[in-house]
This record gives sequence, structure tokens and C-alpha cells, in this order.
Amino acid sequence: MLASRFWYVVLALVLGASIFVLLLATSMYNRAGLRAMDEGLSSDSQVVSWYLKNDARERSAQLIKFALNQDIAKQLSKASAAEGKIPSDVRDKLLDALKKVNSRIPEEDAFDAVFAVDQNGRVVAHLGYEQASGMEDFELGGYPVVADALHGYIRDDTLQLDRLYRVVARPVEYDLGSMPAGAVIGARVIDQKFARTLSQRTGAAVAFYMDGASTVSAAPEGFDKSQLDQINSDLTEALLDENYISVGRSPARTLGGNVRVVYSQLPGEAGQLGAGYVVGRLPAQVDSPLAFFKQADDKDKAQANVGLVAGAVAVAAFLGLIFSFLEHTRPINTFKNECIKLAKGEIDQLTPSKFRGIFRKIASDVNDGIDQVVSKGGGSPRRAADLGRVLGDIPDQPVMSAFSFPGDSGATPEPSSPGAAPEPSRPKPKPKAPLAETQGSAPSPTASSSAAAPLPGAAPAPGAAPGPGAAPGPHAAPSPPKRLPKPPGRPGGASAPNAAPAPEPSPAAAGGEPSEAEEWRQVYEDFVATKQQCGEKTEGFTYEKFEQTLKKTREALMSRHQCSRVKFSVYVKDGKAALKASPIKD
Amino acid sequence: MPALVLAGLAFLAPGVEAAKVKGKVANFMELENPVWAEAKEPKNRGYSFREPVPTVPSKFRKLFPHIPKELCVALIAKSVQKPPKPILIRVGGGRTTPVSIVVPPGTQFTFQNTDPFVHQLYGVGIPTFNPANTVRGGTRDWTVPKAGSYEIRDKRAPSLRMWIVAESNVAAIAYPNLKGEFLLDAKEAGDYEIQAYFSGKKVGPATPVSVGPRDLTIKDDIKVAPDPKKEKAKDDEDEKAKDKENK
Repeated sequence: MLASRFWYVVLALVLGASIFVLLLATSMYNRAGLRAMDEGLSSDSQVVSWYLKNDARERSAQLIKFALNQDIAKQLSKASAAEGKIPSDVRDKLLDALKKVNSRIPEEDAFDAVFAVDQNGRVVAHLGYEQASGMEDFELGGYPVVADALHGYIRDDTLQLDRLYRVVARPVEYDLGSMPAGAVIGARVIDQKFARTLSQRTGAAVAFYMDGASTVSAAPEGFDKSQLDQINSDLTEALLDENYISVGRSPARTLGGNVRVVYSQLPGEAGQLGAGYVVGRLPAQVDSPLAFFKQADDKDKAQANVGLVAGAVAVAAFLGLIFSFLEHTRPINTFKNECIKLAKGEIDQLTPSKFRGIFRKIASDVNDGIDQVVSKGGGSPRRAADLGRVLGDIPDQPVMSAFSFPGDSGATPEPSSPGAAPEPSRPKPKPKAPLAETQGSAPSPTASSSAAAPLPGAAPAPGAAPGPGAAPGPHAAPSPPKRLPKPPGRPGGASAPNAAPAPEPSPAAAGGEPSEAEEWRQVYEDFVATKQQCGEKTEGFTYEKFEQTLKKTREALMSRHQCSRVKFSVYVKDGKAALKASPIKD
Repeated sequence: MPALVLAGLAFLAPGVEAAKVKGKVANFMELENPVWAEAKEPKNRGYSFREPVPTVPSKFRKLFPHIPKELCVALIAKSVQKPPKPILIRVGGGRTTPVSIVVPPGTQFTFQNTDPFVHQLYGVGIPTFNPANTVRGGTRDWTVPKAGSYEIRDKRAPSLRMWIVAESNVAAIAYPNLKGEFLLDAKEAGDYEIQAYFSGKKVGPATPVSVGPRDLTIKDDIKVAPDPKKEKAKDDEDEKAKDKENK
């Protein structure tokens, strides 16, 4: 059992190690996932930043079409020269020129609003910004992005006006070598469309915020963009983050326990007002090792080495079965087979050397038990029947009446001649005397009755002259020679009371086998005689009861041993009459 | 030029015997708008890209102020002047108009929002001018309490900064045009000083003038900033001197 037990320990250790590794893997996976997610968020933020910059550059390139338009440049020059009110025809012509150029801008690079500003910063004409319609004193010259354009720079900005605007501006030159005649400014509203386009092109879940609240958001498939609305409750704290203030980007933060986000300040004036964008990702984490099954997709499962797992399981199971067979099933089977042999009487005792481990000890103990029982003259398991049970509650039942069977090694009578008359004065048989068990090997009643010499005091053998003092039994003279011993005659010639008259000589008596009834009658007589010789009482001990008991015993033995018949004989055990039953197989 | 005259007239009503002082400021392109200069610094993350246009001459690619709004030329009298009528300040386009102004203490200002969205003006360190919303077309009044320099900002537009200088003896102010020419109206004849103000500070020397019954034209330009060439030559001399000391 050592290997089996060792295997159980090994399996337990492997199981424990597996659980530990799974928990460890879960922790490492979550940690690595968190780190990767933070890096991914930082990357997303960078990508969005690059997109905003690149988008601004591409749009500023579209402004060249405005800047190179001579009508626009000319009208702006006229407007700049007008220190007072800008002539309306200048505004109109400029507006027409703006519309004309704007119609040639590709849709993907189109502006939501275009402004033409003179050197004084006044908006001479504009497209798409209806809020300023009719405002003749509308100007933009104070914004750094416009001032830069008026001073010969191209740049972008993000303005927080009524909404967030991504703005690019560039100068418009009319006379080379002089100050720019004005500037043209293109604005793109940061609205849902802008956010959606940005999300589609960058693959990031992004939301813009201003005045402490989310304004627009968009997310790729599989990400619920409404989760980004949670930033409204986190913005106040996030914008106070030291990193956000110093470098314009916050470290990754967790919203509501299920979304991780990074806040970034928008470039430009709007960023200084607290406007920015946030990118978010769903955490790639597992709550328990079992969650791996949920998160793993078909590709992950396909990459798992199922063959290795199956092989390990098969090897472990095979080893377990082998160990179990070698150390459990096989010893038990061996023990079982030996016990069957013992039960069948093929062996007298178990052979401990055939067993290993605990079975060897058990076999040794069984053998010791058998020895103990034998030393006590045979235990109850060895008895085929007890006379008390055989004869019922007769008042003068034999003290010990047992049936002995071939092969039994238990309580067997002393190897005295079954045909010998019991000798009252004979000492008790030795407990461990060799047993007359089988008909072939031990003196059986049938085999030895004729050869047995009559003991002193025994009933005379058929044909023999009655000895002195021997009372002739009622059936002594007429009975034919029988293989069974005759019941000894009571001293003084008294025959057994209630003894049935001797049966008529059967055909067998003439030289054939006696009938069973005759044989049983003879056994009865022998038994009664033996009891009398042993000084036992025989009152009430009738042949009918005796016969019924023999029938039951015979049937039981025939059923048990599959024999054709059972032969009964009388012998003395422990100074008392006893019966021995011998199954006979033809 | 009419705009400049109007600016001056708006400040002080001309007298019957008023004389005009005509002059010109020079080197104003050496000044630098502090708001724009601050915005161009990359560390302030005011943009994602900023590139010069090569076809624009480099002398224009400097963030010199828009002097018609930012450079205030004041006529300083020898005596204390009374506050004028309330002055209208337009708030829009990322700045105020004018950006710099010099007034006697007690002058009342009316800030009018000309933008289509809300502004939230406040005075830096001025307890009587706290942040408050001014809707489109709305106005807000504030009176200069005493002499000094005051800065007005907007919570919703970081680029919006205005400087108010309260000077007791200021008799008239004017704003030059893009060429630097200005025209002051002197209410009374007498001795004055012409002083330029930029971003709440004096720039350039004070130019004494004696105003008579006739219009006066100042011959020399008023240099509001050092001459760039001389400045460069001076820097070169300083470097040579350091080199000699090191040797």
C-alpha cells in the first residue's frame, strides 16, 4: 500500500500545487493585465494626442487653399486698411470667396466654421458660426492662435467657447515682404461625430470633457461608452492630480471598479480651462481561476495543449490504477482465493508467505485462530450440527452430538475405531488427535466397522459368540453382519428402552447394501447403546425423532456437498455418545 | 487716425480751446504681448504644433502687440485730473478693447460682452471685482478705487488680460495706429508729459511737451522700446568685454 499511499500524497501535492499555481497565475495575470492595460491606456492617450495633432496639421494644409486665394487676400488687405467700419462690400466679397474655397475642401477635412480675420483681429467674414451672425464688431484677435497667425505662424489650438473647438490658423499674405493682410482660421467642433471618427481611427474609447463634465464620447465595439460618463464624478479629483497638472496626463485611474481611464489635457487654451479627453479600457482581469474559462476564446483554447493534459491525466490515472491493483486488488484476490481454498478444505491453513503487508498478518492471525479453535477441540464453525439442535428438546439429549464431515479438521472424534464399542472407562480423547475425516483416509464407520475388533464389553460382532456378561441384544442374533457397529449391549443384558424392535432382515442383509432405514435403525440402536454405555439417559429418545433429525441433516449435507447420500456413524467424544455424518459421493 | 481721435475724445471731452498733440511711437515692435509670449512656450501646452510661415518676413514674426489696443499713450498733466465719464470696454475676441488704459482714480468702467458666449471677468487681487458671469451683450460696471495698476482677467478665457493704470494726473489718452501715430487732445494749455503704457507699465521715456493754443507735433518719435540694432551692438560689446576678462 506504500506506493498507493505515496501516490495519493503525490496527487494531493500536485493538486495543491496546481491550485497554488492557478491562484498565482490569477494574481500575475491580473497584475500583468493591469500593467498592460495602463500601458495600453497611455498608448491610447498618445494615439489620440497624435491624431489630434495630425488632424490639425492636415486641416491646416487645407487652409492653404484659403490663404492662396487672391480674392481673400485682397479683401483682407482692404479690411485691414480700414481703421473704422469695414466696408460691407469687402465683407460680402470675402464671404463669397470663403464659400468658393470652402466648397473645394474634402469632406473628411472640412471645417465646421471658417473665419477670415484682418490685421486688427476683426472677423471680416465667416462661415458656419451662426452664433456671430449680425455681429459686426465680432473679433478673434485676442486669441494666441489668431495672433500667431497674424504674426506669421501656423498653429493649432483648442478653444472653449460655447463648445469645444479644434482650431487651426495660418496667415494670409497679400503683399510679400509686408505684414500679413490677415489670417484665416478653421474650426472643427468637438462633437459626437468628431469623437466617433477619432475612436474609429484610433481604436480607443474616448470622451471629451469641459467645465467638469463629459460632453461627447465614443467607443469601439464591445465597450459601452456610457461607462465613460462616470468621469463626471471623478473629474474634480482627477484634475487636481499632480501629474495631470505638471505633464498634462493623469496616471491610470479606476472608475466604479470596472473601467480604467487616463485623463489628458487638451492642447491649447481649452486645456488651461480644464478641458481634455479621457481614454478608457475595460480591465482584463479574472476574479478566480475558473474565470479563465469564461475569458478564454476559441483561439486560446485551441492553443492549449490538450494532448499534454490528457496524457498527464491518463498517466496519473494509469499509475493510480496500477498501484491500486498491485497493492489492493491483487492481494485481496490472492487472499480471497486462499480463503476459498481454506473454506473448501483444500488447505488446512493459510500460507502467510503468499501474502504481503497486512494480508500476511491477517493470514497469520487466521492461522493462529484456527489453532486456537482446534486446541479447544473444535469451534462451533466447524460443527456440521449439534446434537442438541439435532434432537430438539428431548430431556436426555446427548451432551455432545456432532456431525463430522470429510475434510473437516475441526472438532473430530478421536481416531478410535468407529466400530469399537465405547469404553466408558476409556480416558478422554486428546483434543488434537488426528481426525477420522474422510472415508478414504480415516477410519470411517463403514470402512472400519467390519475390521474393528470388538472392545471388551462391546456387543458381539455378528456371528461371534456372545461373551460372558454380554447380554444378547434383541437384534443381535438375527441381524446380519453389518458394517455399522452394533450398539453395545447394556451390561446385564438390558436393552435400550423404547428401542424399536429390530427390523426385518432386508434384502441387503442377505449380502447386498442395507437400506437407509435399516442403516438408520442400526445407527439408532448403536447410538442408544453407546449412550447407555456412557451412562447417559435414554428415556424419551425415540427413533422417530432421531430419524427426523437424520433426515434434516442428510438433506442439509446433500445440498451442501452435492453428495448422493450421507452415512451416519456413532462414536464417543468426551465420554459421550456422538454422531458422525459422512457425505458420500458416488 | 479718426479712431485714435475718437479714443481720445471718448476719454476726455475736448475744450473749446483744446489743442492737439500729434506724435509717433517707435520700436513698438520690440514689445512683446505677455499673453501671446506665454502661449508660445511649449511647456504651457498651448498647441500641438506651431510653425513659422517662411514667406512672412522675420521682422513680423514677432509677437509685438497690436498697439491700437494695447499701447496707451497718456498725456500727464501737472495737476490732479477729474475722472471722466464712464468708459465702455468691449469684451470679445479673446481680449478687451482696449487692452491697456490709463485713467484717473474714480473712473467708472462698463464692460460689455460682445462675444456670443459667456465671460466671467474678475480683477486680480481686487476684492471689489470678483468673478461673475456676463452674458452675451451684457454689461458689468466697475470703478477704479484709487491710483495704481490693476489687472482684469476672465475665468473663461485665459488669454483675456486687461491692465488699468489709475494715474491721478492723466489728462488725456490716445492709441496709436498700426504705424505708431497718435493724436492727443489737450484740454488746457500748459506743460504736460507724454507717457506710453503697455501691460500696466510705463514703456519708454516720458516726453515733456508744452501745449499752447495751437496743435503740437512732436518731432522725435517716442521710443517705447530700446533700439534693436543698438541693443544688439551693446550685447556684442558686453560679450567682448567678458571674453577679455576671461583671458
